[in-house]
Amino acid sequence: MIEFQEKPYEDEEIFKVLNPIVSTWFKSKFKEFCMPQKYAVLNIHNRQNTLVSAVTGSGKTLTAFLSILNELITLSENNMLENKVYVIYVSPLKALNNDLFFNLETPLHEMERLAGKKFGIKVSVRTGDTTTYEKQKMLKNAPHILVTTPESLALMLSSIKFKELIKNVKYCIIDEIHSLAENKRGVHLSLSLERLQYYCEEEITRIGLSATAEPIEEIAKFLVGDRDCKIVKIDLNKKMDIKVLSPVPDLINTTFEKSHNALYTLLDQLVQQHKTTLIFTNTRSATERVVHHLKEKFPQNYTENIGAHHGSLSKEHRLNIEERLREGKLKVIVCSTSLELGIDIGYIDLVILLGSPKSVARGGQRIGRSGHALHDTIKGRFIVLDRDDLVECAVLLKNLVERKIDKIHIPRNCLDVLAQQIDGIAVTERIHIDSLLRLIKKSYCYSELSKEDFMSIIDYLSGKYISLEDRYVYAKIWYDQETGMIGKKGKLARVIHMTNIGTIPEESFVTVKINDQSIGHIDEAFLEKLKRNDIFVLGGSTYKFLYAKGMVAYVSASPGQKPTIPSWFSEMLPLSFDLANDINRFRKLMREKFELKKSKEEVIKFINDYLYVDENAANAIYEYFKEQFLFSKIPDEKELVVEFFNDEEKKYVVFHSLYGRRVNDVLSRAIAFAVFRSEHKDVDIGISDNGFYICSDKKIQVLKSFSLIKSDELRKVMKLAIENSEILKRRFRHCATRSLMILRRYKGREKRVGRQQVSSMILINAVRRISDDFSILKEARREVLEDLMDIDNASLILKKIENGKIKIKQVATNMPSPFAFNLVLQGYLDVLKMEDRIEFIKRMHSYVIAKINK
Amino acid sequence: MHISKNIEIIDLALYLEKESTLVLGDLHIGYEEFLNKEGVLIPRFQLEDLVKKINNILDRVNPKKIIINGDLKHEFGTISQQEWNDTMKILDLFNNKEIILIKGNHDSILEPIAKKKNIKIKDYFSVNDIYICHGNKIPDDQDFKKSKILIMGHEHPSITFKERKDEKYKCFLKGKWKNKLLIVMPSMNLVTQGSDITKEKLLSPFLQQNIENFEVFAVENKIYDFGKLKDLI
Repeated sequence: MIEFQEKPYEDEEIFKVLNPIVSTWFKSKFKEFCMPQKYAVLNIHNRQNTLVSAVTGSGKTLTAFLSILNELITLSENNMLENKVYVIYVSPLKALNNDLFFNLETPLHEMERLAGKKFGIKVSVRTGDTTTYEKQKMLKNAPHILVTTPESLALMLSSIKFKELIKNVKYCIIDEIHSLAENKRGVHLSLSLERLQYYCEEEITRIGLSATAEPIEEIAKFLVGDRDCKIVKIDLNKKMDIKVLSPVPDLINTTFEKSHNALYTLLDQLVQQHKTTLIFTNTRSATERVVHHLKEKFPQNYTENIGAHHGSLSKEHRLNIEERLREGKLKVIVCSTSLELGIDIGYIDLVILLGSPKSVARGGQRIGRSGHALHDTIKGRFIVLDRDDLVECAVLLKNLVERKIDKIHIPRNCLDVLAQQIDGIAVTERIHIDSLLRLIKKSYCYSELSKEDFMSIIDYLSGKYISLEDRYVYAKIWYDQETGMIGKKGKLARVIHMTNIGTIPEESFVTVKINDQSIGHIDEAFLEKLKRNDIFVLGGSTYKFLYAKGMVAYVSASPGQKPTIPSWFSEMLPLSFDLANDINRFRKLMREKFELKKSKEEVIKFINDYLYVDENAANAIYEYFKEQFLFSKIPDEKELVVEFFNDEEKKYVVFHSLYGRRVNDVLSRAIAFAVFRSEHKDVDIGISDNGFYICSDKKIQVLKSFSLIKSDELRKVMKLAIENSEILKRRFRHCATRSLMILRRYKGREKRVGRQQVSSMILINAVRRISDDFSILKEARREVLEDLMDIDNASLILKKIENGKIKIKQVATNMPSPFAFNLVLQGYLDVLKMEDRIEFIKRMHSYVIAKINK
Repeated sequence: MHISKNIEIIDLALYLEKESTLVLGDLHIGYEEFLNKEGVLIPRFQLEDLVKKINNILDRVNPKKIIINGDLKHEFGTISQQEWNDTMKILDLFNNKEIILIKGNHDSILEPIAKKKNIKIKDYFSVNDIYICHGNKIPDDQDFKKSKILIMGHEHPSITFKERKDEKYKCFLKGKWKNKLLIVMPSMNLVTQGSDITKEKLLSPFLQQNIENFEVFAVENKIYDFGKLKDLI
């Protein structure tokens, strides 16, 4: 059962179970137990699974370790500490491991000093960077606390020697569990935990450490499966001082030059008023830009005291920046998203967010990086640069203050990860498929796995899809249908598994070329977003995208043309569905005010009360909504406004569907598909968090096609709509790599990602011939529709339209309405290809022949 | 469809009517095995597809002579048992017919296969005024100089249209090389479509200029005559 720990324990109760040395140490350092400790230490001591959810800096880490150190010290004093691993601590960050190493070592040393003796408690880190020598040492001399990453844990589980070492584990701590639960790395970890439990003689006590996140009960289930768990949810009433700021009073009628200058003046001002400032920019390129401009505009203020931190920088650079930050040598540090998680970054008294963090949880996490000490005030400033951003950040701030946290999505039934983990089990032992399925279904991520899907993975792994004579190449596991046993197949099986483990797709760069001349690189995810004739910026020049071949993007130079797609598109975070709904609710309230002809003062007062924004911001929001109201209609949670207008070339249909891009991706593709099916016309699509548009140079009946899409048939439609898309092909490569169908390292050679992409096209066709529902292809579709996009909520919206809870309102305008501006300017989408191969060549043929004969 | 007088396109092959000769090339047997070694565990369909394709062609024409115009096998190096068996199976389709193997650039180890099947290996084949060679280098023998029609492979031409760059179609090319008529055949490697002539750099010394004036015959469910390449790009 998942239960909340309703009451804190008294400090005396906790001290009663603590070893005198631990108590003395604790009292010498702290006045009293902090909230998470009051709620959780005793539960952990009593070996209850516990999920601690609280903001960073609330003492979570020590909460987890206090009871554990206590137990180990007591064992040590009784000379009962054995040569085995008692505790495994898993963290998503490699850097964090080093950090924690020091944080754990320090208390231990201090306690030893107090006791006047060594306890002999060993702590070791095992990550991808650990040397073979160190690993050998661990085998002989087991660390009692082993700090590791999800990938390294899986490797240990498939290593016969290491498995021996960890079969007596008593505690397992998962740090930053909220960030793992929402992706395949976490899914992979959840199976590793079940594998670990399967080998262990006693029930492991699981401890999850989470930032404030929702749905917390689901995250608890992610931690424990169907076992019992206590949730300790601490809403620390830390004082929050957060504001939305606009660098200029008018966000629309200000020149770029002016707002650019105003932005940096404001940034400098804020930085100078504080001791240390952390700035989040959302993207890597913006991080570089901000550092560059601050240095350029205020050379006297920024020299060695400013640092950039993001994922593309070298590890050495990042570690160096982190260290200087901890030592207090930096005045300001600018990062993309990389400092959201974990590591202790020393004293920060102000966090600035440039642009919306897109979810309340993320906003809270970022702002929580300030005022690290328990009773400090959290101080954050959102700086907005356009009016959509302003409204979004204002509603986000409201939710943050009112602690309405948006829900994360936990991927389930991922067949590629399942394949990799079953392979990992098979290389170390023989197991009956019934016990295997039981083991797997204990993980929350697979609790609803169907026997059919499970068997499809066994079939895939054992090469059943292939003729008997070829099976020796493809079969990864041995499976005896009569006895139901599976096991290792072939001499290379373990090596292949160990060298190809993991779930994070390899970072890969796409070369940009004009004919044969290479002009630079863009990342693969950006290529995913490009559509034909998009103009984008690379190294200061603009180029037009023509087409891609494998890992090469062919472009033509197009100097002076306006970019149609920002180059940071791929890094753009999607707006959370819950936050989107709250913005729609705010739109509704605003619309009512205008419809009731409230005075400007009344409306502004309402905005001020509802959103906690200052006069400037309230004014800007008022003007924005007023313009929209006068120009056309304010869309809201009850009414989906669909706007029709034409420019010189094309007819646009704009859907003001503020549901976040994950939902809009689904709705827009489904409509494009329906238009193609009923009218045989290809259309262009643009999407953003606030809506999408469909456009064409011909007359199209978009709403008629839209009405054909029913919520209960959406999956069927979307399966067809994404079948030929770039995104499915690329995600298929990722899934094929996770399921070991494409090997990154094989027979001692590292394989190039480009090569993999080309061959994955061939692979996807071959797999389709085996079965349209081939497990790994099925998984690629699921990943696209459920993880990348949000088909469930899209279906929910359709249902609401069907039963009249959302009404569709058509509006014709002669230009995009204010709410549609940003969307029409920045929309994008994957090139849509619906037409069948033979149909296409037939059409091309008649077209060309007609042209020639003219 | 006839690509020239007495020369008919039959799917991916050419049939020389007067000579009762079928020309096919660039089969690249073992391509999937090559991908396997690269770490891409692609299931095998190549052999099955190739057998089907060749049988279909042989249902339509009944040649006395078969010319395999180079690159029968994909890899340069050694031959595996699998590839050996596959190659034998393909050659068996032409039982009771005279087979001539023309050397391609991938064919350094044809000898044992040829010996086993008692097949001749040649650098080129010439009959009447037709000269057939792989196309990776320009020959300088007398037969070549006298010939009027050249048939080559090697290039694996395929075509894409700017409306949809991701769909490639295998194609024949017909054009002029000096004063000869040049026909370039698509590959019979059914695993891949080949290289896109609208954008990729062409390999063969025969195709270094004037390519935009070549005529394009795309092969899909039937043959589509698209006229000159320059009208397509």
